[in-house]
Amino acid sequence: MTEPANDQAPEADETIKQLRESFFYGSRSNLNFKFAKDLSDAEFAQFIGDLLNGLGTTIDDGDADRLVEVAHRWQVKAYRGHLADPAGFPHRHDDTPITALAKPLSESTVALVTSSGHFVEGDDPEPFGVPNMTQQQAEERIVDFLASAPQLSAIPVDTRAENLRVRHGGYPVAAVATDHQVALPLGHLRSLESRGVIGELSPIAYSFVGATSQVRLTKHIAPKWAEQLVADGVDAVLAVPV
Amino acid sequence: MGHVQRAIEMAGIATVGVYVRSFGHIAGLMGVARALITDHPMGRPLGAPRDTERQYEVVGAALDLLSCDAPTVTQFPLSYRTTGFNP
Repeated sequence: MTEPANDQAPEADETIKQLRESFFYGSRSNLNFKFAKDLSDAEFAQFIGDLLNGLGTTIDDGDADRLVEVAHRWQVKAYRGHLADPAGFPHRHDDTPITALAKPLSESTVALVTSSGHFVEGDDPEPFGVPNMTQQQAEERIVDFLASAPQLSAIPVDTRAENLRVRHGGYPVAAVATDHQVALPLGHLRSLESRGVIGELSPIAYSFVGATSQVRLTKHIAPKWAEQLVADGVDAVLAVPV
Repeated sequence: MGHVQRAIEMAGIATVGVYVRSFGHIAGLMGVARALITDHPMGRPLGAPRDTERQYEVVGAALDLLSCDAPTVTQFPLSYRTTGFNP
């Protein structure tokens, strides 16, 4: 057994609320579980209970999927809980703009746009002028990201996986960093192009950090990005939020 | 991403977005034209790392929605998995 890396004594008087909030950019920051901040103390206790009960069974049968299921179920409960009230959701729209695909998908040029925070090595957007910003630094500056305008990274679709980088202070990037196609499915889209499902994959994909000033994004930035896609000759876009 | 998806649609380009279940309801509230909701944890929109089969299926299912001329929010039918596939 490996000794725990953090051997600091726990805070003697830590409350459940403080414990919950410590996962949200606090002393136990973990973006997989930052939703704990939005649970009540009773819900958090139930979550921990569910997790430990599941773990008790997993010790015997090795099936970790039940733990993933418990974590995911509570994640959904937390996000749907605190964001589910339409009246309290600031980005609500009562209209739904829609454009019909002008020609069959097999004749259309498709572009990929994702809010994953990808960029190509050597083309780092260097947020706030910081060179080689780490993932941890991005998480520590999440408030700055949320107050700033986003930057768009152009990613040639033939970029080799080893030349891709991802950094985003708002979500757990480990899965995407392990396998970029979790959010940037360039290989899958190339495969669909070669099979004739889509007419053509637009040669440039785009990525940005979705944790950003939503006002600036909506009013000023997104329309310009849309113009760029029109200029690229794109017929359809696959959007992948994270 | 919902803001960006709406702007692209308003510029005359058809869009479809893949949203994880935790944020699936937001796609509806934001009025995006087409959304595929996956039963995946945050940060794994198309599937688990190296689950290339699932990722490909999700991309294909999303692109299928581009032919819809009316707003649609559709649930991808399969649950997240961390095992049972060949990485």
